[in-house]
Amino acid sequence: MVLFCMNAGDSCKITVVVIKVENLYKTYGAIKAVDGISFEIATGEVFGMLGPNGAGKTTTTEIIEGLREPDSGSVSVLGMSHGRDSDKIKQRIGIQLQAPSLLPLLNVEEVLDLFGSFYKRRIGVKEVLERVSLTESRKVLSKNLSGGQQQRLSVAIALINDPEIAFLDEPTTGLDPQARRNLWAVIQEMKDRGKTVFLTTHYMEEAETLCDRLVIIDYGKIIAAGSPRELIRSNFDESAIQFEMASPPAKKSLLAMPGVTQAAIDGTEVSVYSKDIPASMGALLKMAEQDENGGLLNLHVRQATLEDVFLKLTGRKIRE
Amino acid sequence: MKTFFKLFIANTRQFFRDRMALGFTFAFPVVFMVIFGLVFSGADEFQYDVGLSSQDSTQTGVAVAEAFKQIPIFSVTEGELENQLEELKKGSFRAVLYIPEGLVETIARGEAVDIKLYYDPSQTTSIQIIQPVVREFVNSINQMLTQQPALVRLQEESIQLKELGNIDYLVPGVIAMSIMFLGLFSGLPLIQQREKKILKRLGATPIHRVNIIYSQVFLRLLLALAQTAIIIAIAYFLFDVAILGNWLMLLALILLGTLTFVGLGYMVAAFARTEEGAMPVIQLIQFPMLFLSGIFFPVEFLPDFMKPILNALPLSYLGDGLRQVMVEASPVFSLSTDFLVLGGWLLASLIISIRFFRWE
Repeated sequence: MVLFCMNAGDSCKITVVVIKVENLYKTYGAIKAVDGISFEIATGEVFGMLGPNGAGKTTTTEIIEGLREPDSGSVSVLGMSHGRDSDKIKQRIGIQLQAPSLLPLLNVEEVLDLFGSFYKRRIGVKEVLERVSLTESRKVLSKNLSGGQQQRLSVAIALINDPEIAFLDEPTTGLDPQARRNLWAVIQEMKDRGKTVFLTTHYMEEAETLCDRLVIIDYGKIIAAGSPRELIRSNFDESAIQFEMASPPAKKSLLAMPGVTQAAIDGTEVSVYSKDIPASMGALLKMAEQDENGGLLNLHVRQATLEDVFLKLTGRKIRE
Repeated sequence: MKTFFKLFIANTRQFFRDRMALGFTFAFPVVFMVIFGLVFSGADEFQYDVGLSSQDSTQTGVAVAEAFKQIPIFSVTEGELENQLEELKKGSFRAVLYIPEGLVETIARGEAVDIKLYYDPSQTTSIQIIQPVVREFVNSINQMLTQQPALVRLQEESIQLKELGNIDYLVPGVIAMSIMFLGLFSGLPLIQQREKKILKRLGATPIHRVNIIYSQVFLRLLLALAQTAIIIAIAYFLFDVAILGNWLMLLALILLGTLTFVGLGYMVAAFARTEEGAMPVIQLIQFPMLFLSGIFFPVEFLPDFMKPILNALPLSYLGDGLRQVMVEASPVFSLSTDFLVLGGWLLASLIISIRFFRWE
């Protein structure tokens, strides 16, 4: 195991690296699914891998899990590498695949009991069911579960061996907001127990809320890495002022306002990025006073988000 | 071992919750057996409807008519010749026997009596049976009337311990068919689990994936035994088919046959990506086998150019072996050949399956 300092500052914590990935490459035909990826994950971190569909998240994840072979590069998990120590690694990690992959004719309890029996170390079915709030559905055949319940059962399987690292591949995709928040609580609880969580998602909000550190990947490459705050701060000095206007002003006149660096007009919706919020706001309000069509609606100031970071780095929205 | 056992329990649960598979495995052979039994088990008492028109009302004439009515395979209706012939044309009778009047007088004059048998030549199969019976009947009347003792008699003795009826021939056939279905379809759960990424999910745990296969094969073997037991029970209790052979040999054949066809089923799973893709392949394998393997009718009926096909099909050997062991039917192949060929097919399908099977 490798020891290193996370923050090169006054409070240098000694941290244990549980996952180390170096120069990973994987191609499928002409497609470079993973194009030279390296990173390290420390114990107890919630580490996010963020990117649009097809960016290479799942391929990278499955290589680390030992389900796929890379073309080149090395992976170390808990100080071991796949191949010789594959079974030992699998005993200590929990995996949730993107597809729920449940045995359709077994009920929730039976599925968990079956998977639990594969591990030397395990926690009780009851406890896991409670953690993912499936206790009431424990006798339901998995084919009769709702999409959200299937997803939660799939996460429950990943927790049944009380893993040191849990790999969750887009666990909240397709869930309604309520179910998504329930799963966030499960992940937060894992973090509180000192477990390491490897999370892939294409929801920026999710990554911002849950992740200690994350990498943004696009076309198989890491295009940015750091904590959500760092990522936003390093890419944006500005905050965004958003409002609606029946007849928005010309972009030119917006850019002429003090502090404004960028502006975007989408129909009646206007976003203005500003380094000097008070000055820009003053100018905007002045303009609104002279407007005869009802002035500003829904005015708010918000921080730049990871969504803005992704937009800035790739020129695309993440879910396009 | 624990993994194998847990997977076996899981497979068994899933199997019994899948009504389709359950019906296919148990209801189908039972229905098949009952229908076959009802159609064919009465074969011994099967009777041909035959018309009789006797013009001779003397004591001798009545005695001859009565003797004719006693022939067990005929159900005799008496009537006027013209009406009887009309019925024969309509198909109500297979044949009509005509006894002219004046039997005793004609014989006394030293002339031969002409007893006539009318039949419809298009009814070839029934005529082939009726003709010799009537001929034999006429011979014995001759002997009775001339009172000459028979000098040479034919004593018939079957070399089989028990005479085989159609049903006896069919029971091993139904068992062979059920084993073939059970085996060929055993690849489907695997294809399903691969399609739904369940195999991939199981592969992400520390278990050895071959346990998945072992546990499924084990379940299939148990199902084959249960299936066979049910079929034999129906045959025995409902249709009076006795099982004569060696039970251990029967067990060995059923297990080997199941393994062979499971092997073929897995071979299908190795090549077909989806369930929909597998179904036509399975049908392509099973239908020729059903009709060309001789499990439901003796192979002598097959034209010669088809014999090589029969000799290549594993079902031919399973059917032949089961018939030999269960009802001591005369062998088409030797029993050791049956075992060897089944074993050969098993080995071949295993090698191909292992070479081409993909977990994902």
